[in-house]
Amino acid sequence: MTRVVPVPQHLDHLSLDQLAAGLGPWPPDERLLVDAHATEWASPAGFVALLTLGQAVAELGGPTPELALPATDGVASYWAKAGVLRHAEKLFQLHGKVPRRKVDETSDILLPLTIIRNAADVMEIVGRITEQATQILKHELGLESSVVVGFGQSLSEACQNIVEHAGTAGWVAVHVYVYRRRLSGRKVAVIAVSDAGIGFRKSLEATQSKRVGDRWGDAQALETALIHGISRFRDPGRGQGLTGIKRYLARWEGKISIRSGTARVAIVPAWDDEPPRVEGLPWFPGSQVTIVIPGKEPAS
Amino acid sequence: MSAIIRLDIVLHETVDTAYRDLVTRPTGAAVRHRVITVLRDLPDDHAELDFSEVGVMDFSCADEVVAKLLVETFGLRFPRLRLRGVRDDHAEAIEFALARYDLVMVAILTSSPEPRLLGSAPEDWRAAFRTLTRLGRAAAPPVADLLAWPVERTTDALQGLASRHCVVQHPDATFELRAVA
Repeated sequence: MTRVVPVPQHLDHLSLDQLAAGLGPWPPDERLLVDAHATEWASPAGFVALLTLGQAVAELGGPTPELALPATDGVASYWAKAGVLRHAEKLFQLHGKVPRRKVDETSDILLPLTIIRNAADVMEIVGRITEQATQILKHELGLESSVVVGFGQSLSEACQNIVEHAGTAGWVAVHVYVYRRRLSGRKVAVIAVSDAGIGFRKSLEATQSKRVGDRWGDAQALETALIHGISRFRDPGRGQGLTGIKRYLARWEGKISIRSGTARVAIVPAWDDEPPRVEGLPWFPGSQVTIVIPGKEPAS
Repeated sequence: MSAIIRLDIVLHETVDTAYRDLVTRPTGAAVRHRVITVLRDLPDDHAELDFSEVGVMDFSCADEVVAKLLVETFGLRFPRLRLRGVRDDHAEAIEFALARYDLVMVAILTSSPEPRLLGSAPEDWRAAFRTLTRLGRAAAPPVADLLAWPVERTTDALQGLASRHCVVQHPDATFELRAVA
Protein backbone atom coordinates (compact mmCIF):
# COMPACT_ATOMS: atom_id res chain seq x y z
CA MET A 1 0.00 0.00 0.00
CA THR A 2 1.06 3.57 -0.62
CA ARG A 3 0.18 6.66 1.39
CA VAL A 4 -0.13 9.83 -0.66
CA VAL A 5 1.37 12.89 1.08
CA PRO A 6 0.21 16.04 -0.71
CA VAL A 7 2.71 18.87 -1.04
CA PRO A 8 1.01 22.29 -0.76
CA GLN A 9 0.76 24.48 -3.83
CA HIS A 10 3.07 26.93 -2.09
CA LEU A 11 5.53 25.14 0.16
CA ASP A 12 7.31 27.24 2.74
CA HIS A 13 8.25 26.96 6.41
CA LEU A 14 4.63 27.55 7.48
CA SER A 15 2.78 25.43 4.91
CA LEU A 16 5.19 22.64 5.84
CA ASP A 17 2.55 21.94 8.51
CA GLN A 18 0.20 20.74 5.75
CA LEU A 19 2.86 18.40 4.40
CA ALA A 20 3.46 17.09 7.92
CA ALA A 21 -0.28 16.53 8.42
CA GLY A 22 -0.29 14.17 5.46
CA LEU A 23 2.41 11.92 6.87
CA GLY A 24 0.14 9.91 9.12
CA PRO A 25 1.65 7.69 11.78
CA TRP A 26 5.41 7.69 12.17
CA PRO A 27 7.31 5.57 11.34
CA PRO A 28 5.14 5.16 8.26
CA ASP A 29 3.56 1.77 7.88
CA GLU A 30 3.13 2.30 4.15
CA ARG A 31 5.32 3.47 1.31
CA LEU A 32 5.03 7.27 0.95
CA LEU A 33 4.21 9.04 -2.27
CA VAL A 34 5.11 12.69 -1.77
CA ASP A 35 2.92 14.35 -4.33
CA ALA A 36 4.21 17.71 -5.55
CA HIS A 37 2.56 17.57 -8.97
CA ALA A 38 0.37 20.60 -8.12
CA THR A 39 3.13 22.52 -6.38
CA GLU A 40 3.85 25.84 -8.05
CA TRP A 41 6.37 27.39 -5.72
CA ALA A 42 8.65 26.29 -2.90
CA SER A 43 10.88 28.31 -0.65
CA PRO A 44 14.32 27.08 0.41
CA ALA A 45 12.68 26.02 3.68
CA GLY A 46 10.32 23.83 1.68
CA PHE A 47 13.17 22.30 -0.29
CA VAL A 48 15.28 21.38 2.73
CA ALA A 49 12.22 19.96 4.49
CA LEU A 50 11.37 17.72 1.54
CA LEU A 51 14.86 16.25 1.55
CA THR A 52 14.70 15.85 5.31
CA LEU A 53 11.58 13.76 4.89
CA GLY A 54 13.33 11.53 2.35
CA GLN A 55 16.36 11.25 4.60
CA ALA A 56 14.25 10.39 7.66
CA VAL A 57 12.58 7.51 5.81
CA ALA A 58 15.95 6.28 4.53
CA GLU A 59 17.41 6.33 8.04
CA LEU A 60 14.45 4.27 9.29
CA GLY A 61 15.24 1.71 6.61
CA GLY A 62 11.75 2.05 5.15
CA PRO A 63 10.85 1.59 1.50
CA THR A 64 12.20 4.39 -0.71
CA PRO A 65 9.48 7.04 -0.92
CA GLU A 66 8.26 8.31 -4.25
CA LEU A 67 8.26 11.98 -5.22
CA ALA A 68 5.91 13.20 -7.93
CA LEU A 69 7.58 16.25 -9.43
CA PRO A 70 5.72 19.51 -10.14
CA ALA A 71 3.77 19.31 -13.38
CA THR A 72 3.83 23.01 -14.20
CA ASP A 73 6.35 24.01 -16.81
CA GLY A 74 9.34 25.64 -15.28
CA VAL A 75 8.71 24.59 -11.68
CA ALA A 76 10.56 21.27 -11.83
CA SER A 77 13.20 23.05 -13.85
CA TYR A 78 13.61 25.54 -11.00
CA TRP A 79 13.90 22.65 -8.55
CA ALA A 80 16.75 21.31 -10.66
CA LYS A 81 18.38 24.74 -10.80
CA ALA A 82 18.12 25.02 -7.02
CA GLY A 83 19.98 21.73 -6.62
CA VAL A 84 17.00 19.88 -5.16
CA LEU A 85 16.72 17.12 -7.72
CA ARG A 86 20.35 15.99 -7.64
CA HIS A 87 19.86 15.11 -3.97
CA ALA A 88 16.21 14.06 -4.21
CA GLU A 89 17.02 11.34 -6.74
CA LYS A 90 19.14 9.63 -4.09
CA LEU A 91 16.36 9.69 -1.49
CA PHE A 92 13.19 9.35 -3.58
CA GLN A 93 12.02 7.46 -6.59
CA LEU A 94 11.21 10.39 -8.85
CA HIS A 95 8.07 10.50 -11.00
CA GLY A 96 7.45 12.97 -13.77
CA LYS A 97 9.78 14.61 -16.21
CA VAL A 98 13.15 15.12 -14.55
CA PRO A 99 14.81 18.21 -16.02
CA ARG A 100 18.55 17.89 -16.50
CA ARG A 101 19.21 21.54 -15.88
CA LYS A 102 22.52 22.54 -14.31
CA VAL A 103 22.57 23.82 -10.77
CA ASP A 104 22.80 27.60 -10.81
CA GLU A 105 24.86 29.37 -8.15
CA THR A 106 24.99 32.81 -9.63
CA SER A 107 21.50 34.25 -9.55
CA ASP A 108 18.89 34.42 -6.82
CA ILE A 109 20.17 31.11 -5.50
CA LEU A 110 23.08 32.10 -3.31
CA LEU A 111 23.61 28.55 -2.16
CA PRO A 112 21.94 25.63 -3.91
CA LEU A 113 20.75 22.76 -1.80
CA THR A 114 23.82 21.45 -0.01
CA ILE A 115 24.31 18.62 2.42
CA ILE A 116 25.85 19.23 5.85
CA ARG A 117 27.58 16.21 7.36
CA ASN A 118 30.46 17.67 9.33
CA ALA A 119 32.44 20.78 10.23
CA ALA A 120 34.35 20.64 6.94
CA ASP A 121 31.06 20.99 5.06
CA VAL A 122 30.18 24.06 7.14
CA MET A 123 33.57 25.63 6.40
CA GLU A 124 33.09 25.02 2.70
CA ILE A 125 29.58 26.51 2.75
CA VAL A 126 30.63 29.66 4.61
CA GLY A 127 33.71 30.05 2.40
CA ARG A 128 31.68 29.73 -0.79
CA ILE A 129 29.03 32.19 0.38
CA THR A 130 31.67 34.67 1.50
CA GLU A 131 33.54 34.47 -1.80
CA GLN A 132 30.68 34.19 -4.26
CA ALA A 133 27.62 35.79 -2.74
CA THR A 134 29.06 38.87 -1.11
CA GLN A 135 28.58 41.03 -4.20
CA ILE A 136 24.94 39.93 -4.55
CA LEU A 137 24.24 40.63 -0.90
CA LYS A 138 25.88 44.04 -1.17
CA HIS A 139 24.47 45.16 -4.51
CA GLU A 140 21.08 43.48 -4.76
CA LEU A 141 20.12 43.75 -1.12
CA GLY A 142 22.14 46.86 -0.39
CA LEU A 143 23.70 45.25 2.66
CA GLU A 144 26.80 46.83 4.15
CA SER A 145 29.97 44.78 4.59
CA SER A 146 29.36 44.33 8.32
CA VAL A 147 25.88 42.93 7.62
CA VAL A 148 27.30 40.51 5.07
CA VAL A 149 29.87 39.26 7.58
CA GLY A 150 27.11 38.76 10.14
CA PHE A 151 25.22 36.83 7.50
CA GLY A 152 28.20 34.45 7.21
CA GLN A 153 28.39 34.10 10.99
CA SER A 154 24.69 33.30 11.21
CA LEU A 155 24.86 30.81 8.38
CA SER A 156 27.78 29.10 10.06
CA GLU A 157 26.03 28.84 13.41
CA ALA A 158 22.78 27.60 11.89
CA CYS A 159 24.62 24.87 9.99
CA GLN A 160 26.71 23.93 13.00
CA ASN A 161 23.61 23.18 15.02
CA ILE A 162 23.20 20.14 12.79
CA VAL A 163 26.77 18.95 13.28
CA GLU A 164 26.67 19.57 17.03
CA HIS A 165 23.18 18.45 17.98
CA ALA A 166 21.27 16.55 15.31
CA GLY A 167 23.20 13.31 15.34
CA THR A 168 22.78 12.99 11.58
CA ALA A 169 23.28 14.96 8.38
CA GLY A 170 21.17 17.89 7.25
CA TRP A 171 20.57 20.34 4.44
CA VAL A 172 21.00 24.04 3.79
CA ALA A 173 19.90 26.40 1.03
CA VAL A 174 20.19 30.18 0.70
CA HIS A 175 18.04 32.15 -1.72
CA VAL A 176 17.26 35.80 -2.40
CA TYR A 177 13.76 36.83 -3.29
CA VAL A 178 11.29 39.64 -3.06
CA TYR A 179 8.77 40.05 -0.23
CA ARG A 180 6.09 41.96 -2.08
CA ARG A 181 3.34 41.92 0.52
CA ARG A 182 5.18 41.94 3.81
CA LEU A 183 8.04 44.26 2.90
CA SER A 184 6.61 46.24 0.00
CA GLY A 185 8.89 44.72 -2.58
CA ARG A 186 12.10 44.67 -0.56
CA LYS A 187 14.48 41.83 -1.29
CA VAL A 188 15.32 39.36 1.45
CA ALA A 189 17.98 36.70 1.88
CA VAL A 190 16.62 33.47 3.33
CA ILE A 191 18.73 30.80 4.99
CA ALA A 192 16.93 27.48 5.41
CA VAL A 193 18.51 24.65 7.36
CA SER A 194 16.90 21.32 8.16
CA ASP A 195 17.96 17.98 9.56
CA ALA A 196 16.34 14.65 10.25
CA GLY A 197 17.99 14.38 13.65
CA ILE A 198 16.82 14.01 17.21
CA GLY A 199 15.18 17.44 17.48
CA PHE A 200 15.45 20.11 20.18
CA ARG A 201 13.33 18.33 22.78
CA LYS A 202 15.40 15.17 22.80
CA SER A 203 18.67 17.08 22.56
CA LEU A 204 17.89 19.12 25.68
CA GLU A 205 15.80 16.61 27.61
CA ALA A 206 18.52 15.12 29.82
CA THR A 207 19.65 18.48 31.18
CA GLN A 208 16.53 20.66 31.02
CA SER A 209 13.32 18.64 31.33
CA LYS A 210 13.45 18.27 35.13
CA ARG A 211 13.80 22.00 35.55
CA VAL A 212 10.66 22.60 33.53
CA GLY A 213 8.63 19.63 34.77
CA ASP A 214 5.25 18.86 33.22
CA ARG A 215 5.48 21.77 30.79
CA TRP A 216 8.41 20.10 29.02
CA GLY A 217 7.78 19.54 25.34
CA ASP A 218 8.86 20.65 21.86
CA ALA A 219 7.83 24.30 22.33
CA GLN A 220 9.51 24.55 25.72
CA ALA A 221 12.68 22.99 24.32
CA LEU A 222 12.72 25.46 21.44
CA GLU A 223 12.26 28.39 23.80
CA THR A 224 14.99 27.05 26.08
CA ALA A 225 17.44 27.07 23.19
CA LEU A 226 16.31 30.10 21.20
CA ILE A 227 15.01 32.50 23.83
CA HIS A 228 17.21 31.52 26.78
CA GLY A 229 20.35 30.47 24.86
CA ILE A 230 20.71 27.21 26.77
CA SER A 231 22.51 24.26 25.25
CA ARG A 232 22.69 20.63 26.37
CA PHE A 233 26.37 21.17 27.21
CA ARG A 234 27.33 22.53 30.63
CA ASP A 235 30.24 24.43 29.11
CA PRO A 236 29.55 28.18 29.60
CA GLY A 237 30.79 28.84 26.06
CA ARG A 238 28.00 26.78 24.56
CA GLY A 239 24.66 28.15 23.43
CA GLN A 240 26.35 31.09 21.74
CA GLY A 241 25.30 30.17 18.22
CA LEU A 242 21.58 30.86 18.41
CA THR A 243 22.17 33.77 20.77
CA GLY A 244 24.59 35.30 18.29
CA ILE A 245 22.15 34.82 15.41
CA LYS A 246 19.41 36.44 17.51
CA ARG A 247 21.54 39.49 18.26
CA TYR A 248 22.43 39.89 14.60
CA LEU A 249 18.80 39.59 13.50
CA ALA A 250 17.61 42.03 16.15
CA ARG A 251 19.98 44.64 14.76
CA TRP A 252 18.90 44.21 11.13
CA GLU A 253 15.16 43.53 11.58
CA GLY A 254 15.65 39.90 10.67
CA LYS A 255 13.54 36.94 11.62
CA ILE A 256 14.23 33.43 12.85
CA SER A 257 11.69 30.65 13.01
CA ILE A 258 12.46 27.15 14.27
CA ARG A 259 10.20 24.14 13.94
CA SER A 260 10.97 20.93 15.76
CA GLY A 261 8.65 18.00 16.35
CA THR A 262 5.20 19.47 16.96
CA ALA A 263 6.06 23.10 17.71
CA ARG A 264 7.40 26.24 16.10
CA VAL A 265 8.94 29.20 17.90
CA ALA A 266 9.88 32.41 16.15
CA ILE A 267 11.42 35.77 16.92
CA VAL A 268 9.32 38.02 14.79
CA PRO A 269 10.21 41.54 13.62
CA ALA A 270 7.59 44.25 13.25
CA TRP A 271 7.16 43.64 9.51
CA ASP A 272 5.94 40.06 9.95
CA ASP A 273 2.97 38.48 11.68
CA GLU A 274 4.08 34.91 12.30
CA PRO A 275 2.92 33.73 15.74
CA PRO A 276 5.89 33.61 18.13
CA ARG A 277 4.94 30.20 19.53
CA VAL A 278 2.75 27.47 18.07
CA GLU A 279 2.20 24.07 19.66
CA GLY A 280 0.27 20.99 18.64
CA LEU A 281 1.43 21.01 15.03
CA PRO A 282 1.51 17.80 13.03
CA TRP A 283 4.81 16.06 13.79
CA PHE A 284 7.67 16.38 11.30
CA PRO A 285 11.09 14.76 11.64
CA GLY A 286 14.11 16.64 13.00
CA SER A 287 14.42 20.41 13.13
CA GLN A 288 13.94 23.18 10.60
CA VAL A 289 15.49 26.64 10.96
CA THR A 290 14.49 29.56 8.73
CA ILE A 291 16.33 32.88 8.90
CA VAL A 292 15.21 35.93 6.92
CA ILE A 293 17.41 38.99 6.52
CA PRO A 294 15.76 41.94 4.78
CA GLY A 295 17.70 44.02 2.30
CA LYS A 296 17.96 47.75 2.62
CA GLU A 297 14.85 49.79 1.91
CA PRO A 298 15.16 51.21 -1.59
CA ALA A 299 15.59 54.97 -1.66
CA SER A 300 12.24 56.59 -2.53
CA MET B 1 59.85 40.49 23.48
CA SER B 2 56.53 39.94 21.82
CA ALA B 3 55.79 37.27 19.25
CA ILE B 4 53.09 37.60 16.60
CA ILE B 5 51.01 34.54 15.79
CA ARG B 6 49.10 34.90 12.54
CA LEU B 7 45.87 33.01 12.92
CA ASP B 8 45.33 32.65 9.17
CA ILE B 9 48.62 30.77 8.97
CA VAL B 10 47.79 28.63 12.01
CA LEU B 11 44.43 27.83 10.40
CA HIS B 12 46.06 26.56 7.22
CA GLU B 13 48.67 24.61 9.18
CA THR B 14 45.88 22.95 11.14
CA VAL B 15 42.91 22.45 8.84
CA ASP B 16 42.71 21.52 5.18
CA THR B 17 40.74 24.48 3.81
CA ALA B 18 40.98 26.84 0.89
CA TYR B 19 39.36 29.63 2.90
CA ARG B 20 40.52 31.94 5.68
CA ASP B 21 37.41 31.83 7.83
CA LEU B 22 37.55 30.77 11.45
CA VAL B 23 34.28 28.89 11.68
CA THR B 24 32.99 25.81 13.55
CA ARG B 25 33.94 24.50 16.96
CA PRO B 26 36.18 21.66 15.76
CA THR B 27 38.18 24.13 13.67
CA GLY B 28 38.43 26.53 16.58
CA ALA B 29 39.53 23.78 18.94
CA ALA B 30 42.18 22.58 16.48
CA VAL B 31 43.50 26.12 16.02
CA ARG B 32 43.57 26.65 19.80
CA HIS B 33 45.56 23.48 20.38
CA ARG B 34 48.06 24.54 17.73
CA VAL B 35 48.35 28.03 19.25
CA ILE B 36 48.96 26.52 22.68
CA THR B 37 51.78 24.41 21.25
CA VAL B 38 53.33 27.49 19.65
CA LEU B 39 52.96 29.53 22.85
CA ARG B 40 54.51 26.80 24.97
CA ASP B 41 57.70 26.97 22.90
CA LEU B 42 57.96 30.75 22.81
CA PRO B 43 60.75 32.45 24.75
CA ASP B 44 58.80 35.73 24.72
CA ASP B 45 56.90 37.31 27.61
CA HIS B 46 54.12 38.53 25.38
CA ALA B 47 52.37 37.21 22.31
CA GLU B 48 49.86 38.75 19.96
CA LEU B 49 47.25 36.79 18.08
CA ASP B 50 46.97 38.45 14.67
CA PHE B 51 43.52 38.43 13.05
CA SER B 52 44.37 40.75 10.18
CA GLU B 53 44.07 38.06 7.47
CA VAL B 54 41.15 36.19 9.03
CA GLY B 55 37.83 36.29 7.15
CA VAL B 56 34.60 35.45 8.93
CA MET B 57 34.87 34.34 12.55
CA ASP B 58 31.70 32.90 14.04
CA PHE B 59 30.68 32.98 17.69
CA SER B 60 31.57 29.34 18.34
CA CYS B 61 35.04 29.78 16.94
CA ALA B 62 35.57 32.95 18.98
CA ASP B 63 34.75 30.86 22.03
CA GLU B 64 37.12 28.06 21.04
CA VAL B 65 40.04 30.14 19.77
CA VAL B 66 40.05 33.09 22.16
CA ALA B 67 37.95 32.48 25.28
CA LYS B 68 38.94 28.87 25.86
CA LEU B 69 42.57 29.69 25.06
CA LEU B 70 42.53 32.27 27.82
CA VAL B 71 40.81 29.87 30.22
CA GLU B 72 43.31 27.09 29.48
CA THR B 73 46.45 29.21 29.74
CA PHE B 74 45.54 31.65 32.50
CA GLY B 75 47.79 31.26 35.54
CA LEU B 76 50.23 29.03 33.68
CA ARG B 77 53.70 30.09 32.57
CA PHE B 78 52.55 31.26 29.17
CA PRO B 79 53.18 34.57 27.42
CA ARG B 80 50.61 37.28 28.10
CA LEU B 81 48.20 37.36 25.21
CA ARG B 82 46.82 40.29 23.27
CA LEU B 83 44.93 40.55 20.02
CA ARG B 84 45.72 42.59 16.92
CA GLY B 85 44.27 43.15 13.46
CA VAL B 86 40.78 42.65 14.90
CA ARG B 87 37.89 43.84 12.72
CA ASP B 88 34.69 45.12 14.29
CA ASP B 89 32.85 41.88 13.50
CA HIS B 90 35.66 39.83 15.03
CA ALA B 91 35.58 42.10 18.08
CA GLU B 92 31.87 41.57 18.55
CA ALA B 93 32.20 37.79 18.47
CA ILE B 94 35.24 37.84 20.78
CA GLU B 95 33.66 40.24 23.24
CA PHE B 96 30.56 38.11 23.40
CA ALA B 97 32.60 34.92 23.94
CA LEU B 98 34.83 36.44 26.65
CA ALA B 99 31.89 37.89 28.54
CA ARG B 100 30.41 34.40 29.01
CA TYR B 101 33.45 33.53 31.16
CA ASP B 102 33.79 36.97 32.76
CA LEU B 103 37.11 37.40 30.94
CA VAL B 104 38.74 40.45 29.40
CA MET B 105 41.59 40.96 26.93
CA VAL B 106 43.46 43.80 25.27
CA ALA B 107 42.99 44.20 21.54
CA ILE B 108 44.03 46.54 18.75
CA LEU B 109 41.22 46.92 16.28
CA THR B 110 41.76 47.73 12.63
CA SER B 111 39.41 50.67 13.06
CA SER B 112 41.59 52.44 15.65
CA PRO B 113 45.21 52.34 16.81
CA GLU B 114 44.14 52.76 20.45
CA PRO B 115 44.23 49.53 22.45
CA ARG B 116 40.88 48.63 23.93
CA LEU B 117 39.45 46.06 26.27
CA LEU B 118 37.27 43.30 24.87
CA GLY B 119 35.08 41.25 27.17
CA SER B 120 33.81 41.69 30.65
CA ALA B 121 35.29 44.63 32.57
CA PRO B 122 33.80 47.10 35.04
CA GLU B 123 33.57 50.68 33.82
CA ASP B 124 36.27 51.72 36.33
CA TRP B 125 38.71 49.31 34.68
CA ARG B 126 37.87 50.68 31.25
CA ALA B 127 38.36 54.29 32.36
CA ALA B 128 41.66 53.48 34.09
CA PHE B 129 42.80 51.54 31.04
CA ARG B 130 42.08 54.44 28.69
CA THR B 131 43.93 56.84 30.95
CA LEU B 132 46.95 54.59 31.33
CA THR B 133 47.00 54.26 27.54
CA ARG B 134 47.51 58.01 27.34
CA LEU B 135 50.12 58.13 30.09
CA GLY B 136 52.24 55.13 29.22
CA ARG B 137 53.97 53.80 32.33
CA ALA B 138 52.50 55.42 35.44
CA ALA B 139 51.75 54.89 39.10
CA ALA B 140 48.19 55.13 40.40
CA PRO B 141 48.31 58.81 41.59
CA PRO B 142 48.76 60.46 38.15
CA VAL B 143 46.07 58.22 36.73
CA ALA B 144 43.84 59.18 39.65
CA ASP B 145 44.55 62.87 39.04
CA LEU B 146 43.44 62.64 35.43
CA LEU B 147 40.32 60.70 36.36
CA ALA B 148 39.58 62.89 39.39
CA TRP B 149 39.24 59.73 41.45
CA PRO B 150 40.64 58.79 44.87
CA VAL B 151 43.96 56.95 44.55
CA GLU B 152 42.49 53.87 46.24
CA ARG B 153 39.75 53.53 43.62
CA THR B 154 42.32 53.98 40.85
CA THR B 155 44.67 51.42 42.40
CA ASP B 156 41.83 48.91 42.65
CA ALA B 157 41.02 49.36 38.96
CA LEU B 158 44.65 49.10 37.84
CA GLN B 159 45.28 46.06 40.00
CA GLY B 160 42.13 44.49 38.61
CA LEU B 161 43.50 45.03 35.11
CA ALA B 162 46.86 43.60 36.16
CA SER B 163 45.18 40.54 37.66
CA ARG B 164 43.66 39.83 34.22
CA HIS B 165 47.01 40.43 32.45
CA CYS B 166 45.64 43.50 30.66
CA VAL B 167 48.39 45.70 32.11
CA VAL B 168 51.74 44.96 33.71
CA GLN B 169 52.28 45.91 37.35
CA HIS B 170 55.95 46.67 38.05
CA PRO B 171 57.68 46.18 41.43
CA ASP B 172 57.94 49.98 41.80
CA ALA B 173 54.09 50.22 41.92
CA THR B 174 53.83 51.57 38.40
CA PHE B 175 51.57 50.12 35.74
CA GLU B 176 52.12 49.82 32.02
CA LEU B 177 50.44 48.65 28.88
CA ARG B 178 52.92 46.86 26.72
CA ALA B 179 53.09 48.31 23.25
CA VAL B 180 50.93 46.20 21.03
CA ALA B 181 50.79 48.28 17.88
